[in-house]
Amino acid sequence: MNQQELIERIKTELGDKIVEISSPAERRVFLTVTGENLVDTVKKLRDSFDFYHLSTITGMDTLSSFEILYHLANKLCCLTVRVSIDRNNPEIMTICDVIPGAILYEREIQDLLGIVVKNIPDPRPLVLPDDWEKGNYPLRKDWNYQAPEEKIPGENK
Amino acid sequence: MAVIKALVYLLIYPGILFLFVYSTFCEWFDRKLYARLQNRIGPAYTGRNGILQPVADFLKLLFKEDIVPEKADRIIFSSLPVIGLAVVVTVGLYLPLWNVDVSIPSFNSFQGDVIVVLYLLSLPTLIFFLAGWHSTNFFSTLGGVRVLTMLFGYEVPLFLAILSPAIVADSWRLAEISYFYQKFPFLLLFQVTGFFVSVIALQAKLERTPFDIPDAETEIVGGTFTEYSGKKLAFFRLMTDIEMVVGSGLIATVFMAGFSGGIVLGLFKFVLKTLLVIAILSLIRAACSRIRVDQMVVFSWKYLTPLAVLQLLISIVVKGIIQ
Amino acid sequence: MKKITIPIGPQHPALKEPISLRMTIEGEVVKDADVRLGYNHRGLEKLAENKTYIQNIYLMERICGICSHSHTTCYVQAVEKLCGLEVPRRGLYIRMLVCELERIHSHLLWLGVAAHEAGFDSLFMYTWRDREVVMDLLEIISGNRVHYAINTIGGVRRDVNENQKEKILEGIKFLKMRTEYYTNLGTTEPTFVVRITKVGMLPKEKAIALCAVGPTLRASGVASDIRKDDPYAAYSEIPFELCTANTCDVLGRVVVRVKELVESYKIVEYIINNLPQGDIKVRAPRKVQPAEVVSRYEAPRGENIHYVKSNGTDKPERLKVRAPTLANYPATIEMLKNCFVADIPLIFAAIDPCVCCAERFVELKDIRKGTSKVLSMADIRRKYKYNEIKKDFVWPL
Repeated sequence: MNQQELIERIKTELGDKIVEISSPAERRVFLTVTGENLVDTVKKLRDSFDFYHLSTITGMDTLSSFEILYHLANKLCCLTVRVSIDRNNPEIMTICDVIPGAILYEREIQDLLGIVVKNIPDPRPLVLPDDWEKGNYPLRKDWNYQAPEEKIPGENK
Repeated sequence: MAVIKALVYLLIYPGILFLFVYSTFCEWFDRKLYARLQNRIGPAYTGRNGILQPVADFLKLLFKEDIVPEKADRIIFSSLPVIGLAVVVTVGLYLPLWNVDVSIPSFNSFQGDVIVVLYLLSLPTLIFFLAGWHSTNFFSTLGGVRVLTMLFGYEVPLFLAILSPAIVADSWRLAEISYFYQKFPFLLLFQVTGFFVSVIALQAKLERTPFDIPDAETEIVGGTFTEYSGKKLAFFRLMTDIEMVVGSGLIATVFMAGFSGGIVLGLFKFVLKTLLVIAILSLIRAACSRIRVDQMVVFSWKYLTPLAVLQLLISIVVKGIIQ
Repeated sequence: MKKITIPIGPQHPALKEPISLRMTIEGEVVKDADVRLGYNHRGLEKLAENKTYIQNIYLMERICGICSHSHTTCYVQAVEKLCGLEVPRRGLYIRMLVCELERIHSHLLWLGVAAHEAGFDSLFMYTWRDREVVMDLLEIISGNRVHYAINTIGGVRRDVNENQKEKILEGIKFLKMRTEYYTNLGTTEPTFVVRITKVGMLPKEKAIALCAVGPTLRASGVASDIRKDDPYAAYSEIPFELCTANTCDVLGRVVVRVKELVESYKIVEYIINNLPQGDIKVRAPRKVQPAEVVSRYEAPRGENIHYVKSNGTDKPERLKVRAPTLANYPATIEMLKNCFVADIPLIFAAIDPCVCCAERFVELKDIRKGTSKVLSMADIRRKYKYNEIKKDFVWPL
């Protein structure tokens, strides 16, 4: 099936879970859903449409909210699922039960943007060092460039 | 007079000085051949054609900082390289290099010195294990365990293969074995299987590819030698080089009819025959990749030991025929 | 033997770049593995938000040395889609030429590294000698052996003339001969094959579930290649085959990469023989309309994906890069369970790790640590006596 048919089928299968769907270019589809419907949407996409490959998860800080984009891919096109969440209370459900390979990407957005991913199997920070202070999320737009004081292990104070 | 002669034997020829100089030459030969087989140049700058490179490495290591790990037993840790060096140099004293006649072939040769040589050659393995154990570092311990595991593999074929020519020659004395084969060289043709088995087992004893499992740089950082540095590492490396020389000397004595003809001709033959064995060892080293320790043990018990036993049977049959 | 945890890395002779693997070992068998990242973070995604689109090309190039062209091409494709530019065909063909030459050089490098990890130094020396041929070809085209800087927004910067075309064809002919020799060597030398067979098993379902990419995925029998699924830059016009293998182990990955080498030679010859005439680039606007775009690329290591969002100025709003090695980490952890200690470097090398590709986030702290670590040790030696440091202190790794 070609891309237009794919979009029609997605619209019929997912129905009212979709907030918006668009196709700005060949082999690219952008789909917007709400946070509660995320896991069901991804599950449906994986089972009925063969979107079992997750390329990556992008976290973005538009100053009014956080946007999380899940880039899924199958043989036909690359579909991006967009979720908008509240900036003051950023929480999202994990999709690791549906796609186990998402674990590292979810740890990354947890680490760098401060988004809390619920039920994540492994909540450790991925890239920041162990003694990085909490609450300091580098990828947010309002991050200040002050590096925290460095502690050298073994040093006598 | 006898004292001076003994001192010359011990210190100059075929003692420490000769073994030191000759083993550095052999290491250069091995490295150059290995490099040429890989389309590289090898050592090229120190001395003419890089011949002083192993000496330069040895001297450089002597000047480096010498660190003993905190939890290690200082005395044993420091004395192991010296003991190892002493052991392999002692083996060199038993090779029949001064072959004027059978009664004065080497420094001290007596009935049964083949067994003593083989025993002394398995001591370095234990020393490596102790070195790994006393380094109190996980990687070294793993290396030491691997060294002992390999010992279970290659020791039996090596013993059987080296003892087969001794059975045909009807003597346990290295000088008499080589003298016997100098008289009847055609009997060596029956020992070819044993020759190849013992060359492969020697490669395993020297811990070179494909058997350099205990010293696998990409896996366990340095194996048994991880914590050694400075003078101690220099002695260990010298010990492995001399082990290569005396090991190939042993094979040359037993399988290639020794070094007859007096001092100068004997020395010339010694150099020629050991270089031939070392060339075969280098060829094996360049052509193979490293195998795992369990695969090595399986390989030696499945292929090497049966071949060694076959060689033993052939020797017994040949002995029965010539008597 | 009871269970011990040993660290492989961050400094280890088997690793070309720092990464920390903690293995729980029982005897010689690995029971569990854990990956800790972050040693190579450089703050590129945050930096990219403060630079113009053209400056970002230089930044993207320096993400990695071996796959530099893949990052620039992926980024430049994304920006061209944002601006609505159409690159002339000659430019696209030259871009593909450098892509394939980079793939050849990366696979030869990997063959050598895998052989070295297995202890087969002769193959290592031979493949790296032949890699020099490719590096020379790349130098003829672009002037550099790494970081070719041949992409710009709207096309490529340098053209290929007749002389260079002849040299490229000669080089490819020589490499074809050598690759046949390596295929024989890699698949029939018993000591090498016995080391890589049945090592690092990754069954097909697990490979798909853990979202592996590149040759790691293709060696498990999954036919997925971005050049076929999502063709970019005129790949739809070039005939070539997808290479897969069915053995799901390191031998399969060797086979896949060698097959890909052969396909790359065919592609390069096709490109050289059918290079269209015309311009090599078009002019690009400085400010970009607000839009967002996802761009994918088949790097030698797997799928490379860039997401660019613009906001009407000449700097991007968000630039997200996911390099292929990061996608292969969960699969690596799965492969490391129940293997021998001796196989750890081989399994890790089989995914072709390019650790500096996989880590790009803001880490002013690490950069400071990188320089001031040296200072700190010197400081410690100058200011504090060495034995004042507590003797039973446990290092936090």
